[in-house]
Amino acid sequence: MSSAVHAQAPQPGPDATSTADDLLVVRGLTKRFGGLVANRDVDFDVPRRGIISLIGPNGAGKTTFFNQLTGMMPPTGGTITFNGVNLVGLPPHAIVELGIGRTYQNIRLFNDMTVLANVMVGRHARMKSQWYEAIFHLPKVRDEEELTRGRARELLELVGLSRRYEDSLARNLPYGDQRRLELARALASDPLLLLLDEPTAGMNPGETARMTEFIGRLRKELGLSILLIEHDMKVVMGVSDRITVLDYGERIAEGRPEEIRRNPKVIEAYLGKQANA
Amino acid sequence: MNEPTLGRFYLRALGLGALGAVVVIYLALIGMIDRFEARNIINGVLTLGVLAPALGVLIFAYRSTQPPKAWSFVPPAGHVIGAGLLAGGVAGLISAAFLFVNEAVALNAVLVNATPRMTDALTLGAGLPTGAALLVGAGLVVGLGAAALRLVPDRFRRPLVAALVAVLLLSLMEPFLRVVLLQLELPAIAHWLYEAGGLTLQGAIVTFIVVLAVRLAAEFRGNAVRERVDAMPAGQRRSLQIGALVAGLVILVLLPQIIGSFLSEVVGTVGLYVLMGLGLNIVVGYAGLLDLGYVAFFAIGAYATAILTSPVSALGSELAFWVAIPIVMLIAAVSGLIIGAPVLRLRGDYLAIVTLGIGEIVRILLLSDALRPWTGGAQGILQIPPPQLLDIEFFRPQNLYYPILAFAIAGTFVALSLANSRVGRAWNAMREDEDVAAATGINVTNYKLLAFSLGAVFGCIAGAFLAVKLGSIFPHNLNILVSITVLSLIILGGMGSIPGVIVGAFVLVGLPELLREFAEYRLLIYGAVLVMMMLWRPEGLIPSAQRRRELHESEDDEEQWDERVGAGTPPPVVEGT
Repeated sequence: MSSAVHAQAPQPGPDATSTADDLLVVRGLTKRFGGLVANRDVDFDVPRRGIISLIGPNGAGKTTFFNQLTGMMPPTGGTITFNGVNLVGLPPHAIVELGIGRTYQNIRLFNDMTVLANVMVGRHARMKSQWYEAIFHLPKVRDEEELTRGRARELLELVGLSRRYEDSLARNLPYGDQRRLELARALASDPLLLLLDEPTAGMNPGETARMTEFIGRLRKELGLSILLIEHDMKVVMGVSDRITVLDYGERIAEGRPEEIRRNPKVIEAYLGKQANA
Repeated sequence: MNEPTLGRFYLRALGLGALGAVVVIYLALIGMIDRFEARNIINGVLTLGVLAPALGVLIFAYRSTQPPKAWSFVPPAGHVIGAGLLAGGVAGLISAAFLFVNEAVALNAVLVNATPRMTDALTLGAGLPTGAALLVGAGLVVGLGAAALRLVPDRFRRPLVAALVAVLLLSLMEPFLRVVLLQLELPAIAHWLYEAGGLTLQGAIVTFIVVLAVRLAAEFRGNAVRERVDAMPAGQRRSLQIGALVAGLVILVLLPQIIGSFLSEVVGTVGLYVLMGLGLNIVVGYAGLLDLGYVAFFAIGAYATAILTSPVSALGSELAFWVAIPIVMLIAAVSGLIIGAPVLRLRGDYLAIVTLGIGEIVRILLLSDALRPWTGGAQGILQIPPPQLLDIEFFRPQNLYYPILAFAIAGTFVALSLANSRVGRAWNAMREDEDVAAATGINVTNYKLLAFSLGAVFGCIAGAFLAVKLGSIFPHNLNILVSITVLSLIILGGMGSIPGVIVGAFVLVGLPELLREFAEYRLLIYGAVLVMMMLWRPEGLIPSAQRRRELHESEDDEEQWDERVGAGTPPPVVEGT
């Protein structure tokens, strides 16, 4: 994977600590579903080129948090500032254009489209040809189409999907390859921030190790910032700069991995009161 | 093989035979057999009235000769014949019993077609009880035929079926082909091939032998033509494609001169439905928005054209057709937006129901007193002038054909271009998963409206041509059946497939015009065809490459796995969604 492919990625900066120039700044984010509070007053930062993990027991509100970042759900209150732009109220496609890409906990590919088409759809936000241009087959439409196809193939190669799969349907890929394809689709929109929702769920230890290593490479080679929801503590501890812990929708801890590991509140949330007593 | 399986096998044949009888009795009770007696397939040998019930029984008998895959039981030849005979015999027996019951109870008090005439039709005039024996005998013969068809090796069966279907099609196409042959001044061939509305015996035999020979050659020598085309260098293949395209165009251009006035009229109607099919295909096939009120756009196009061009309309603008068409297209696009906007948030069934309502609203509005000054209510709008270009007036069907053809070709081009672009991909993604499509960067609102608007433009152009074709327009031309026909032809041809739209329009709109015997049973046949398509070929007659993969790729994968590893090993389990 050459760096030329990702020309607009930000330059390597100083190592991640919270600064005013953070890529993503979330303040007081709250989401209510009727009486249920899925996120309460969550503050959250992702520094540029940072890898931040979001952990917490099932139902802690992690995926809801993701859905608000990507515009799929409107927050009840609070602000989300990405790269200096307020995201609250923006539709999902506008947020993709600003540079947030995501994957899903339960893989959501366009199952009946080909592998290559899936990645090319991911590139949609970065393409410019309009329908009236497409009708007339303008040369610039054809050129853009070719360029996109080439770019999509590069991405498939980057995530390690073999060329011979590119014309088969997404749903016929083995599970691990589907995860890889979802990643390629998310990367196709040239994101600055990548949201990964349990990228190693359902993977065997070998695949998990490769995915962990790959996440590290994404930062190093593409200069991406990554926000990770993950249950596998080996992955979380191994790859994250900082970790935020949610429980019942509230942030109960934030810190470096070794701090989180020892935090009594975190241990309680995961193991219950008895274990802490 | 164990005994219980064999018992089940015969029991299944019994059941399928009974189903075959149900089909025969149903066809008889709706009066179809009687009416179809009048239609020769092969003159003096076979009428449609004999063929239709026989085919019904044949399908079930043929199915009865092969147990479901899950039984992992392959019956030996003797039992295949046994099952076929049983199914066919049972079908004949039940049909015969039905005739006796009818004679004893006089069912025609309730079922108007259950008359002695029906008995005669079903027994070829032999009457009871001789006819009963005849029916059972016929059932056994059909069952034997089904078993024979099953026992013949694949590479013989395919050519055999192809040859039989060719004979049937050639005979059914008689009203069309005979006219074409006569117009081409080949009366000798026309008389040799056709007689009394059906094929002549010698025509049927020669057709059968020729098709059989060609298909057998293809089976055994491989498809030589295809191979040679595949082996060609890319440039040569391209010039061949262009040559085929040009040849096709020449035929299309010459067609109305060959087929005469009536058939040109039919082809013109087919052209309107091709246009509508292309439009609805964008909405349903590409974008996955199930629109059951597509007739609304047909109506808007027809009435807009009528109001703009007719000298008796309230507007009194009396525009020329070619001036009106761009305005109609603009009105279409706007109406697409207006109808699309309120249904943006609806999905699936809800969208279907609301659009169904919109179609009805438009029709009722056209009938309403409120709009009467403009639309003329039930009296409609008359005196719509035909299009004129320089000195040519597109009045006769042979002339009007050309502008319709031009728009259909342009429409095909537009639809193809969009399908293979960023826009088509975005629509497909939306069809698959709207939320994820949005979160992948697609402006779902805009793309839905674009699909509705483009679809509306196609529909309105078709409507404009309907107006000038009929010369007058009434609300009753524009009912829900139009929506259903257009949707059916898309399903028949294959969702998202443009050649499918064209073939679907010819089959569902063109054929019923040619086969007058079918006219009365048009809706019944639509329904039967759609059910059979869903069961046996859900991807449509000419599926888009993608739909074919959707529906068959996983099966292929399993088969390939079987080939590589040997049957019996389960294919690898694909986890996940």
